[in-house]
Parts: sequence; C-alpha cells; structure tokens
Amino acid sequence: MDLMRRSLLGQLARLSAGVALVPLSSIATAGINAQPARREGDPTKRYGMLIDLRQCIGCQACTVSCHIENAAPMGKFRTTVSQYEVEDQASGALATFMLPRLCNHCENPPCVPVCPVEATFQRQDGIVVVDSDRCVGCAYCVNACPYDARFINDKTQTADKCTFCAHRLEAGLLPACVESCVGGARIIGDMRDPNSQISQMIAEYGEQLMVLQPEKNTVPQVFYLGMDERFVTRPVAEAALLEVLDDQGKEMGYEFRGH
Amino acid sequence: MNSVAIELLAPRYPIAWYPWAVQYFFLIALSYATLWLAAPALIFGKKDWLPTARLALLACLSATLVAPVALLADLHQPLRFWHFYAYANTHSWMSVGSVILPLYLFSVMGLTWMAWRPALQANRQAPGFLGFVSRWISLGTSPTPKILMVVVGVIALVFSTGIMLYTGAEVAIVKARPLWNTHWLPPMFVATGFITAAGLMLLLNRVTQMKNSAVNSQMLKVMLVATLAAAAIAAAWVLGGINDPQGSVAAAIESIRFSDSWRATALWGSITAVVLFVGTLYMLFNTSKRPALHSWVWLLGLVAIHLGWMFRWVVLMDVQHVARNSAGFHHYGIPAGSSGLLGIVGTFGLWLAVMLLIDLFVPWRDAQQGGVATDIQPATNIDSAAKGATSHG
Repeated sequence: MDLMRRSLLGQLARLSAGVALVPLSSIATAGINAQPARREGDPTKRYGMLIDLRQCIGCQACTVSCHIENAAPMGKFRTTVSQYEVEDQASGALATFMLPRLCNHCENPPCVPVCPVEATFQRQDGIVVVDSDRCVGCAYCVNACPYDARFINDKTQTADKCTFCAHRLEAGLLPACVESCVGGARIIGDMRDPNSQISQMIAEYGEQLMVLQPEKNTVPQVFYLGMDERFVTRPVAEAALLEVLDDQGKEMGYEFRGH
Repeated sequence: MNSVAIELLAPRYPIAWYPWAVQYFFLIALSYATLWLAAPALIFGKKDWLPTARLALLACLSATLVAPVALLADLHQPLRFWHFYAYANTHSWMSVGSVILPLYLFSVMGLTWMAWRPALQANRQAPGFLGFVSRWISLGTSPTPKILMVVVGVIALVFSTGIMLYTGAEVAIVKARPLWNTHWLPPMFVATGFITAAGLMLLLNRVTQMKNSAVNSQMLKVMLVATLAAAAIAAAWVLGGINDPQGSVAAAIESIRFSDSWRATALWGSITAVVLFVGTLYMLFNTSKRPALHSWVWLLGLVAIHLGWMFRWVVLMDVQHVARNSAGFHHYGIPAGSSGLLGIVGTFGLWLAVMLLIDLFVPWRDAQQGGVATDIQPATNIDSAAKGATSHG
C-alpha cells in the first residue's frame, strides 16, 4: 500500500475513532492515573544518577554488591549490567557494549499512579520507594514500568526495586553500587545543589547525556554519558542465551545460541 | 554504519500477572455480558427473552461469584485485600475497580435473588433440605415488586458499564506494554465478552436440556453483532495505528515478524474468528429451514468460548513475554502449581461447582420478573419431551 493511501486510511480511522472515544480518553487522562502528591524525604534535594559508560567495564561488582546490600532473591536484580556484542557489518570489527540498568527514579514515574493502595510513592527528594508493609502484591507497578526495574520479591511477596539505597544515603553513605564501582562510572548526588559532582557533570556534558526510552515521557533521572543511541530504546539485538527445556517444558539450563 | 548486536547477558524477567488474571477477565466479561442478555426480560419485561434470561442469570451469578476469587488469588498478598479500602485512592484504575466490583457484585446478587424468589417461595413446602434452603433464602412470603427489580437491575447495568470501563482502562493505560496501550483494547474486551457469553448460552442451552430454539436464534443474532463489532474494532485498530511507529500495531507487527509462536497465535486467532463468523451466519440462515441443526449450535458455542478465553490469554499472558527492555521474547512454561495450571483448572472447577450448587437448590429455570409464588409457570421445554423433574442426560 502506498504511503498516501495508508495515511488517508489512517486519518479516516482516527477521525471515526476520535469521535467515539474523546470523552473516554479525557476521563482517563484527567484525575485517574495522575501523579499523587509526593511525601517523605528531603524537599530541598533531588537525587539523580549519572552513569559514565566510558568507565564501565561490565564487571558486575554493582550487581553483586546491590544483591548483598539489599538481599534480593536469587535471579531478581535491583541493578544489573546488560552486555552486548556489537559487530560492524562492513569491517567485521567487534565491540562490547555495557548498559548498567536500575530504577530511573523518573520525574513522571508510571509505576506510582497505578498503585491501588499508594504503597509505592515518590519521596520529595525524587526517590521512588515501596512500603512493603502496605503493598498487596498486585504487580500492577511491575507491568507499568517500561524499564523492567521492578519485580515481585519471592520472600516478601511484595514489589521490590532500587531505592538509590535511601537507607545508606540517609546515613551519609553512598549506594552499594556506587561504592563498589571499580571505574567510578556511577555518580549519584543532589541535582538541586549546583556544586555537587552530578550537577557539574550535567552542566558540562548537557546535550551528550541520554536517558532510556525518552519517548515514554517518564522523564528518567538516570543519565547516561557515552551512550549509543541504538540502545536508548529496546535494543535491536538477538538474544544469545537460550533456555534448554526438557520434555515437560521445564527449564534445565542455558546455552549460547550457535553452540 | 550498519551493525548487528547480540545480547550476551541480561536477566530474565518473569511474568508478573499470572493466569489468575486471565480467569478473572474471562469470568467478569461473562458476568457483565450475561447480565445484559438477562436484562431484556428480567429488567425491561420483554417476555420472549425470558428463556434466554433464565440461562443468562445462572451464568451471570456464578461467574460474578467466582471472578473475584480469581482476582484475589492473583494478588501476591491476598490477605491484604482490605488495604484496597483502607488506602483507597482515585488515581489508580485498579483502586477505582476495587470500589466498583463489590457494588456490582451486590447489585447482581440482589437482582438474581429477586428473580429467583417467587420460584423459591413456591418450593417452601418442599420436603427435606430443599424446603429448608428455599425457606431460608426466600426470606418470607411477601411479593417481590417488579419495580424494585427494574431499579436494582438498572443499577446493576450501570455498575456493569463501570466494570467494562475499568477492566479495559486498567490494562490499556500501561504505556510500558505497547501492545496494551491502545484505546481499542477496552471495546475489544467488551465485544469478545459478548461473543463468549453468547457462546456459553448456546452451550448451556444444550447441557441444561433446555434446548430452546428461541434462545439459539437470539444468541446467534447477538453473536453475529458481537463478531461484526469485534471485526470493526480490529480493523479500526489496524488502520488507526498503521502509521504510528511506536504504537500497539507496530509492536504487534514486530512480534509477528520475529516470533514463530506469535505468528502461530495470529494465524490460529484469525482462523477461529473466521470459522465462528461463517458458522454463525450459516446457522442463523439455516436453522429455520433445518431445525435439526439446533442440536449442533452448541459446537459454535465452544468455538466462541475458546475465542474469548484465548483472546484474554494472548493479551494478558503472551504480551508479558515480549521483552521491553532487553532482546527477544521471554519463555514462559505454564507451571503446574497454583500460579499456573492448578489455578486455571481450579477456577473452572469452582465455577462448575457453583453452577451445580445453584442447579441443586434453586429453581433457576423458573426465574421471572418478580411477582409471587403462585405466578410460577414451570419452564416448558420446547424441543425436549422432558417434563417435571429436570433431567441432565
């Protein structure tokens, strides 16, 4: 179908759809699904993280130290480093790309308004946390986060996620992942303080910084320096790890594609 | 600069909503759709819809009672369900739903009680346990005013639209899953809900030995309208989204391009829909000429139920397998335990048990729009010769 015809059909459909659904969508956008008021935390601060990918060697020290600090169950991660092998098709040259992932503590977090009991909320310092005593484990927030930053903790049966190690920040310590990063790739700080390292780096690198999936309008507050824009949205990559299943479809282990 | 990338290392992300969610969405859709099928006779007094309404009310009450059980089971902390009311808020569709659902449940229970009450009253003198249950549930011998049924029925219908709206919106607002994030999902849930309900009625008409040909032809008409509506919604979804590189249509095309199982699902779904539509048309135009066909329409009912359940499975389970932040598709083998097969089978078992209990103790075949015990005219089986005690052969 040529583009003109396609766009005409699209317009027609949108027109008819629009007429029927205008009242519905306006209800959905007004009030329901709006961000609730922030509570707790220091209103004079706004924490954020800058990850200097030029310094990341993919050693997973952050993954391990976070896992120990926050006692996440096996196989679930508050932070981890995805690793990609990138091949230039013309020259055949290979490169490895590291992408540390964690909660983006978004300015417009999609996980917060969906919570039916306000168990997950954003503090005034921007950190998104979960009150695990209140959480009913409906997992709506897990589905609402486009970054796979949330999971259901098998031990507590409630939603779990990165908190920027708020308990450590309050004690004047750095988050476990920042503390353990061998390359100093992770920089955390108060973005309201113009003298903090993160504020200075944001001012210095400005346009070069990228965030993940900006088109989702979540306004992430984890900034990547030295990012390849092909990895900003869902990476166009082939998954190398394959699960090996037995006759009953139960998982036996992993193998690499092509082996 | 052309390059190819291989994802060497990324965690696996399991699904967060389990098959319980499919069961809830399936049963609650059956619930609101069958309520609307019972409405013409039991709320608006259209006598020729009474046999349909009697079957529909049985399906409606049983589905309405079992659906919240499945919903509760999908919570990882089911005993904390009271938090929904202690910390209710207006910014979450799920919270809005938690308010609408009990109101809907009670209005359906009220309507059903009133529709069955005259028949229960007629059973008050029955010997043994049946009489005891009838006396106990019917609460006295006073007449059941029609006007009260109209009021409660209209309230139930209003809440049912709330259920349609919230169950659809709850899923459709999730931007993180592009396949869900479309305005066309809520109406599609409703259209497939009516397809499933009409199918269930065709099946129940057969297995309860009602074998009423008026029910069949009414349900075939409902099925035709619902399948046409579903086709129109699907067409509008495709046409409206075909130019949007980020939308749910693009995500669907991508899934079909890169995954064998999605290709198979799309093909199977399309074939089932075509078979259902052609079958409905055929039965609709031929049952009047060849009444023997009436004994086969229940097969069409099975196809419809399969379509409605599969749509919910694909939307709620399969979509969760599409990786959104890493490469490829996640594998999900349905576990045997309560978050998998046992949950699916258990919900259906509970539903069947509820229907059988109702069938055992309640003369649902004599449901009517209020009145007193002496108004009861035993249900007549048009096609079957069975009289008196109902047979289940």
